[in-house]
Amino acid sequence: MPIAPLSPDVVRQKISGIDVVEPSPICGGFKAVYRAIVRGKTEALKILTIKRGDDPDLEEAYVQEQLARVGREIDALAKSKCPEIVKLGSIAPQDFDVETEKYFAYSEEFISGKNLWDLLRDGSRMPPELPELLVLFIALLNCVEELWALGYVHRDIKPQNVMKTGDVTRPFVLLDLGIAYAVHEVGLTYRPGERMPLATYRYLAPEMMEPDFRDRLDFRTDLYTTGMTVYEYAAGKHPLARDTDDLMRTISRALRQPPTPLQNHRADLPRAFCELIDTFLKKKPALRPANLTLVRRKLEDLR
Amino acid sequence: MKLFSQHGALQGGKTIDGIAKGYVDGIIYSPRDIKASKLKDHVDEVAGVNPVADQFFDPQYYAGFNVSDSDARRGYLATAEFADYFRIRRRRDLESGLDKIREDIRNCLKFQEGFSLTGLVSPNILITRSLDSIEGVISKNFIRQAGELHAKLLLKKPLYITLALSREALMDKHELVAFLTDITLLDKVPTGFYLLVAARQEEARTDIYSADVIGAWMLINYTLALNGYHVINGYSDILTPFLGAAGAAAGATGWWSNLRTFSLSRFLPATGGRLPIQRYLSKTLLNRIAYFELDKLRRICPKVLNRLETDGLYDAEEGSLPDRAKEVWQSWEATRSLCGDLCKGDTKSDLDRCRRAISTAYRAYDEVGAAIDAIDPKSNSDHLPALEEGLKVFSRLAEIPNPSGETM
Repeated sequence: MPIAPLSPDVVRQKISGIDVVEPSPICGGFKAVYRAIVRGKTEALKILTIKRGDDPDLEEAYVQEQLARVGREIDALAKSKCPEIVKLGSIAPQDFDVETEKYFAYSEEFISGKNLWDLLRDGSRMPPELPELLVLFIALLNCVEELWALGYVHRDIKPQNVMKTGDVTRPFVLLDLGIAYAVHEVGLTYRPGERMPLATYRYLAPEMMEPDFRDRLDFRTDLYTTGMTVYEYAAGKHPLARDTDDLMRTISRALRQPPTPLQNHRADLPRAFCELIDTFLKKKPALRPANLTLVRRKLEDLR
Repeated sequence: MKLFSQHGALQGGKTIDGIAKGYVDGIIYSPRDIKASKLKDHVDEVAGVNPVADQFFDPQYYAGFNVSDSDARRGYLATAEFADYFRIRRRRDLESGLDKIREDIRNCLKFQEGFSLTGLVSPNILITRSLDSIEGVISKNFIRQAGELHAKLLLKKPLYITLALSREALMDKHELVAFLTDITLLDKVPTGFYLLVAARQEEARTDIYSADVIGAWMLINYTLALNGYHVINGYSDILTPFLGAAGAAAGATGWWSNLRTFSLSRFLPATGGRLPIQRYLSKTLLNRIAYFELDKLRRICPKVLNRLETDGLYDAEEGSLPDRAKEVWQSWEATRSLCGDLCKGDTKSDLDRCRRAISTAYRAYDEVGAAIDAIDPKSNSDHLPALEEGLKVFSRLAEIPNPSGETM
C-alpha cells in the first residue's frame, strides 16, 4: 500500500536548500518521490518512510535494514559512471523525524520524459523500430555491466524504471536502485512476515524464487529483466504475465512457462534480434549469454 | 565443426595420412602414448603436412589418482618424459589449498608452450561421482586458476580448460545446471574447454548411449558455446555431430575403442583381450557394423553405404575386410561427413536434422532386419532410442522448444 506523503511545507521545513516542492509526489510502499527545485535546479527528491515493523524486539534491526538498503542505493549511484544510470542530486542523504515517524531523504537528478510503462499504455503508440530497440537494449546492458563491475545486481529492471528521455545523448535512463543487491555484502533480511524477495512480481527472475537465491545471484538476473523489458517494449505485451493473472499464476508462469517467441509478435524484426531477446528470458541463468562483448558484437551486426 | 584424431597407442601413420587426406582437422596428443622427446618431431611433421592443422595436447592429469599402481598402464605418462608437469597427487593434496593446483597448472602450461601447438590445454581431475562434491570443488578451482595463471604468465596461445566428468556426475541435473552457472562466470575467460565424459569402461557402450548422458553432454556444449567458448570434445566419436548441433566446435575419435570412449580404465591394469573385428561406420545407421555384415548388406541394403572415398577400403572382392591400419580413416571420413550434413550452425535446424537422421536410421534398421537374420549386438539399433530421447532431454534442459512446442 502506498505511504501517505509529507506535505510540501513540512518537507521544506525539514530539508534545507529546497526552493519549491511539488505538492503531489509519486508514492510507493516505502517512499515518495517529489519534483523539487533545489537552488534553481529541478531534482527528484526521494523521501523514505522508515517503518518500524510490528515486532518491538525487531524494531531496531528493521530500521537499520531499511537504512542499509537506502545506503546501498546511494552508494551504487555515487560510484556509477554509466550515463544510462540516474545520478545523485545535490541534497545530501539525511534522516529526520516528524512527530513519531522517522524519514530519510536524498535527491537524484530529475529525468524528464516518460517511463516505458506509461509509453506501453499509450494506445496511440507505434511499435518501436529496430534502431530504437537496439539503443534501449544496449543502454540497459551498459547499466547491468556497470552495476556488476561495482558488485551490484539491480534486481528491479522493468518498464516503470526505464525513462525515455528524448535526449539523443542519453535516450534511456535506468532509475531506482532501491533493491539493488550487493553481492559481496551481508544479505539484508526480509521484511518481517514476508518470505518472498523484494521485486516486482511480473519482472521477477525465476532464480529469485529459489530459497538460496542469494548464494547464486549474479548479473544474469538483470539480463533476464533486461530481456523482459525490451521484449515488452517491442511486443507491447509482457512475455509471460497477463493482466488478469493473480500473484500465484504470475509466479507459476515465470517458473514454468516458456515465453512466446518475440518473433511471433514482431515478424518485422530480424530473427537474430528476436532470438537473442528470447535467450535472455531462459529460466536457467546459465543459459543466458553472460559474455556481453559477444552480445554487443551481435547487436552491432544488426545495426 | 572440426574433427580431430584422438591419439593413442600404435598410431603409425594413421593421423599424418588422415590429416593429409583431409579426413581429420588435427590431433589431440596422448602423453601416455608418445615420448616427450618424439612429440616435437610429430608436431613438426603434422605442420609439414598441413600447416593449419590443429594440434592439442591432453595432459591426462586426471589419470593422476589412478596410475600409482605398479601394474597400471601408464605408458610414458608417469615417467621422466613428462616429469616437467605430471604429478601423482592424492586427493587431499588438492583439497587443502590452491598452491599445488597452481603449481601443476603452471608447469603444465609452460610445458606445452615449448611445442608448436595450436592452444594450451590446462589440467584437471575427473569428477567421478557428483558435481556437488569435493572433486567438484577441486575441479572448479582448476578451472578458475587456469584462467588467472594463463593471464598472469602472459601466455600467448589460447587456453582450453579441461573439464572431465563421469557419466554419474551428469545424472543430477540440478547440480549440473548449478555447476554450469558457476563456470560460465569466470573472471579470466579461456578460449574454450576440452570436455571429456567418462564411462566406467570403454566397452560399456550403454554408459554413454543413455538419454541422460547424451542430453547432459549436449547441454554442456550448448551452454559453454552460448557464452562464447569453443568446446573441443574428446572421445566423442559418433556423438560428435549431435554435440555439434548443440554448439560444439570440435570432436575427436581414434582407432581403438579406448579412443572412441573416454574411460580411466585405459590406465588401469590390463585384463586381457583380443583385437576387435574391423567395422564400417554407416552414416545412415548412425553406427558401426562388422565388415562381414557390410559385405552382406552392401548388396541387399545398399543404403548402409556412405558412398564416400574410404568405402574403397572395404573391397567387396576381399569380403569387405579393410586393412586394420586404415579402418580409422573410414570412421573419420564418415563422422566428418555426418557433421557436415547435420551441423550447419543453427541449433534448432541442426536438431531437426539430427531427429530426421535418427528416423532415417530406424527405417534403415527395419530394412536391415528384414535382410539378414542376426546382427551383432554392437551393430544393432539399441543406440537409437538413447539418441532420440537424448535430444529430448537436451531440448528440455536447454529450454529449446521441440517440434511439438514443448520445452519443460
